Amino acid sequence: MLSEYLPIAILAALALLFAVGSLVASGLLRPHRPTPVKLSAYECGNDPVRLPRGERFSIRFYVVAMLFIIFDIETIFLFPWAVAARELALFGLIEIAVFIALVFVAYVYVWKKGGLDWAGGSLTPIEAEAASEAPGPREEVGIRAG
Amino acid sequence: MVRLPLVLLFSAVLFSAGVYGVLARRNAVMVLMAIELMLNAVNVNLVAFATALRDVVGQVFALFVIAVAAAEVGIGLAIVILLYRTRESINVDEVNLLRW
Amino acid sequence: MTPDLDLVPFVPELVLVAAAIVGLLYEALARGPRYPVHLAVALAGIVVASGATLALWRYGGDPTVLAGAIATDRLAVLARLTVLGAAFCGLLLGTHAIERDPAAARGEFFPLLLFATTGMTLIVAAADLIVVFLALEVLSLSLYVLTGLPGRRAASEASLKYFLLGAFSSAFFLYGVAMVYGATGTTRIPEIANALVGRTGEQGLALLAAALLLIGLGFKVSAAPFHMWTPDVYQGAPTSVTAFMSAATKVAAFAALIRVFDVGLQALRWDWTPLVAALAAVSVVLGSVLAIAQADVKRMLAYSSVAHAGFILTGLTASNADGIGASLFYLIAYSAMTIGSFAVVGVTTTRGEDRTDLDAYRGLYRRDPHLAAAMALFLVSLAGVPPTAGFIAKVGVFGAAIGAGYVWLALLGVLASVAAAYVYLRVIVLMFMVEPEEALVSDPAPLPRIAIAIGAAIVLVLGLFPGLVTDLVRSAAVLRW
Repeated sequence: MLSEYLPIAILAALALLFAVGSLVASGLLRPHRPTPVKLSAYECGNDPVRLPRGERFSIRFYVVAMLFIIFDIETIFLFPWAVAARELALFGLIEIAVFIALVFVAYVYVWKKGGLDWAGGSLTPIEAEAASEAPGPREEVGIRAG
Repeated sequence: MVRLPLVLLFSAVLFSAGVYGVLARRNAVMVLMAIELMLNAVNVNLVAFATALRDVVGQVFALFVIAVAAAEVGIGLAIVILLYRTRESINVDEVNLLRW
Repeated sequence: MTPDLDLVPFVPELVLVAAAIVGLLYEALARGPRYPVHLAVALAGIVVASGATLALWRYGGDPTVLAGAIATDRLAVLARLTVLGAAFCGLLLGTHAIERDPAAARGEFFPLLLFATTGMTLIVAAADLIVVFLALEVLSLSLYVLTGLPGRRAASEASLKYFLLGAFSSAFFLYGVAMVYGATGTTRIPEIANALVGRTGEQGLALLAAALLLIGLGFKVSAAPFHMWTPDVYQGAPTSVTAFMSAATKVAAFAALIRVFDVGLQALRWDWTPLVAALAAVSVVLGSVLAIAQADVKRMLAYSSVAHAGFILTGLTASNADGIGASLFYLIAYSAMTIGSFAVVGVTTTRGEDRTDLDAYRGLYRRDPHLAAAMALFLVSLAGVPPTAGFIAKVGVFGAAIGAGYVWLALLGVLASVAAAYVYLRVIVLMFMVEPEEALVSDPAPLPRIAIAIGAAIVLVLGLFPGLVTDLVRSAAVLRW
């Protein structure tokens, strides 16, 4: 039973050995002659303007991630159907067609509502910050992607 | 062959870790991840039972749970973004407009 | 290989989903003013679904169809009709809210409400724990979004709280389902019942499962001590959504609770009825006492909803047809009262900004006698004073509890009712005895008035002629599987 996992264990061990070995070997073999220029962080040849600590990603990434999760996971219903497609025959085909049609409705909705627009879609955190500092109630706060 | 009680213990520990995460974490996204951990602990349980019972229902159920968990993450992220846009914070402790 | 497909008992859900999808596509593709079409589609969906449900009352086929997924008994029919009635009123209130405040309006309200209703009608008929879980998620996910739909700060905070605690409770429910599956080897509720009657070996696992399932469903029905989300969500959500979910979610979750515990875990009833009794006692006391301290009407009604969850649980301690029937009657009566009172709150709110504090009710009688009279009726019914539906409902659940030997619980319920009466009477005094501070005018819009009239009519009719539904409730309380 356990022997079936032996190749995986060997592969894992080899991968670990290679990674550690490369680091150790390069550390031992390379010459070590630091200068201030060499030690400075590489950012297009200039000193970094500010540290990227806690830098926020654009909120657009979250929208894309959200949509990806939802549509990606739908495939888990396609795999079991694909395995048993021949036995399920026409009945299974109709079932899966209904399922895909329902997912397609969601896709049409997201598309038409602008959830897939990268440029025109959402506010960046900075824009949101600026907008929230503006006086008066802000009404455009709904999530476009739903 | 892994024995069933061990798997059940493992999933119970995972579930408890998720519960702890929900109660202890202050960041809404972290709480969301802790809830996912709880759902996946249940998945481990379901698959373990399905194997022990030689029954396929548990595995089917696990697939449904994965899909539902994805939908939940989608909704959760959407709500977090909504709150972030109105509040500039996703710290659960700062969600305090409604208090008794 | 074509499974035997008897879709007839599933038609209400199919109709609702179809209407929701039409609404979703319309929202995505149409331009210009859209709410009349949305409302027409959604109302048509609900009316057709109600008709299909009514036709199921005399359904003569198998107890479960679609490979054991859907139950065809009368509990499912009656609970579905209650949910659909709540959805009908919720639609009217939501449309009014959209007309009043176009800035916060979202056309997604209509499809989301229909999806939530689908989840609720599905969960009351679900005979397989997988379907119960899926329906629970469908209704919960829709409600999370409905709560946050206006996008304002209070609504989005309420939405996040509801989501985090709701997902947390779903995980507990799911863990319970997995335990039941491990203990009995099946997820079909009737087969679970048979497995538990036959065997004794895995009873420990099944007991653990019962506790976890009770936690999960306790959150959804907002029974104390799992009620923490209720006041915040009820207050932060748009009032129309609060009205809908306070009634419909309770009906749906309680129907699921009845099916899971009184059918599936019937063999363990000596073990789980004390747990239910404890939940009932805590809910009744906490809900009644905390309602007294509230200065906001929506929060007050939220704590009142916790107390009422306790009263319904009191009926379920009997775990027989009497108790189930009393609880069903209570659910119908409570739906009418809570939708009516939140509808009044929604109309009184209208004065530029939201007014849900108690002061907004000062002298309501002078400003709008009809509205004040309707609110008084709902409050009196919530307090359980005859001749209203609330009184008959309370008598029913206390009688069932006493019949099952839980005399202390019934006594506690009576005491808590007396204490809670103060809460409701305080508002009535404010409405009738105090002069209005400012010249406030309540919203004369017709749609909420229709919902209020429906609620008031049901409260009065059930209070004066309870015999009209007693037979229906009795035959729905006989579960067959």
